[in-house]
Amino acid sequence: MKWGLFTLISAAALLLAQNINYQQDAKWRAPEEAAAKKNPLAEKPELAAGGKKLFKRNCVECHGDSGQGLKKAADLQLPVVQSQSDGTLFWKITNGNPDHGMPSFSGLPELQRWQIVLYLRTLAQQ
Amino acid sequence: MSPVFRRVRRWKICLLSLALTAGIPSGARAQEAPYFVTYDHHPEEPGNLEIAIWSTVGIPRGGQKLFFAPFSEFEYGVTGRWTAELYLEGQATSGDSAVFTGWRLENRFKPLKREHWINPILYFEYEGLNEASKILKEVVGSAEISAERNAELAAVHAHEIEAKLILSSNVHDWNLAGNFIVEKNLSLGEGFEFGYALGVSRPLSKLASGKECRFCRENFNAGVELYGGLGSTNGFGFHETAHYLAPVISWQVSDNSSIHFSPSFGLTDVSYPVLLRFGYSYEIRAFGSKVARMFGGKP
Repeated sequence: MKWGLFTLISAAALLLAQNINYQQDAKWRAPEEAAAKKNPLAEKPELAAGGKKLFKRNCVECHGDSGQGLKKAADLQLPVVQSQSDGTLFWKITNGNPDHGMPSFSGLPELQRWQIVLYLRTLAQQ
Repeated sequence: MSPVFRRVRRWKICLLSLALTAGIPSGARAQEAPYFVTYDHHPEEPGNLEIAIWSTVGIPRGGQKLFFAPFSEFEYGVTGRWTAELYLEGQATSGDSAVFTGWRLENRFKPLKREHWINPILYFEYEGLNEASKILKEVVGSAEISAERNAELAAVHAHEIEAKLILSSNVHDWNLAGNFIVEKNLSLGEGFEFGYALGVSRPLSKLASGKECRFCRENFNAGVELYGGLGSTNGFGFHETAHYLAPVISWQVSDNSSIHFSPSFGLTDVSYPVLLRFGYSYEIRAFGSKVARMFGGKP
């Protein structure tokens, strides 16, 4: 009974914490060439573990532990995010959207940014 | 209280402050370059506050004196394109005294929204210093370090403004950065002084490992800086100016703190032979939101 109540409260808290009202910035679009880029690590899913560590270090403050989105940041589990190509997500991580609070992470090595993209894909399965 | 005792007590206070600051739970941002003097184009993340303590130790040659110049830095990301910083600095010289040397307020603006091949940053700083300042956060003019006593130097106040054009680029995980510096002392009838700083660095690993580790290569960033003075409007160029070549390394100790180290080697007769620089920085994430919440505001 206690566990059931705990699970119910946890699920409600998670739902309330999710930023399901997130609206995309229509002007924040990756150029076609960038959007078409393939993830060079796509065949190495084991590297998502490193992506998770980088996500924890750089992203959770705004996007939450499981990418559910906090404050004005996107809920990364939503189809509106997950339907974007790897290249688009990579471009957004690289350039940021500084006028809307998303910093640029171009200082991270390129492969580490692709590792983050790899990890973001695992959020859709959660 | 005798002057000798007062001097010893000031040294102890300096060392105690350093020890206390180093005791804060420790790593810096993963993408932070290891430079001490050169600026790259990455602003502080909006709402984050980075608190750091840095030190410059001047190793003398004949006729010069050993000095220790610590300074603290408070860097805040006002917006995604505007970073503001406050510096407080001091200095202690062997066989002389320890003095507070002033403060600096700097602002960096990123005019372009997206990443480009070359990313410009505009930098403006106001400095309320005295002539005893020896942190050498930048090197301008002839940049010769005065051998006069601290008491005399600290009595001469300087109000200075400084501007920098920062150009920086990330190429295949290497960061290349160049700064051109112009400084004007408003208190004296001097001309404009010029300086430069160039830096190149890269992380030691391209990939992040899946395990939590302090000593993984990905936590280290290394490079080299070259900086110096370019004279003034009274005489532009390299003649009798100080220049330094400095290997730099930073180690991200934890998710939000890092340790930096650099030995700088003087390249000319007016340079100090060696400057040892080290620092520790700790980042408070979402500091702005936390403060807003404390006062009942919207984060």
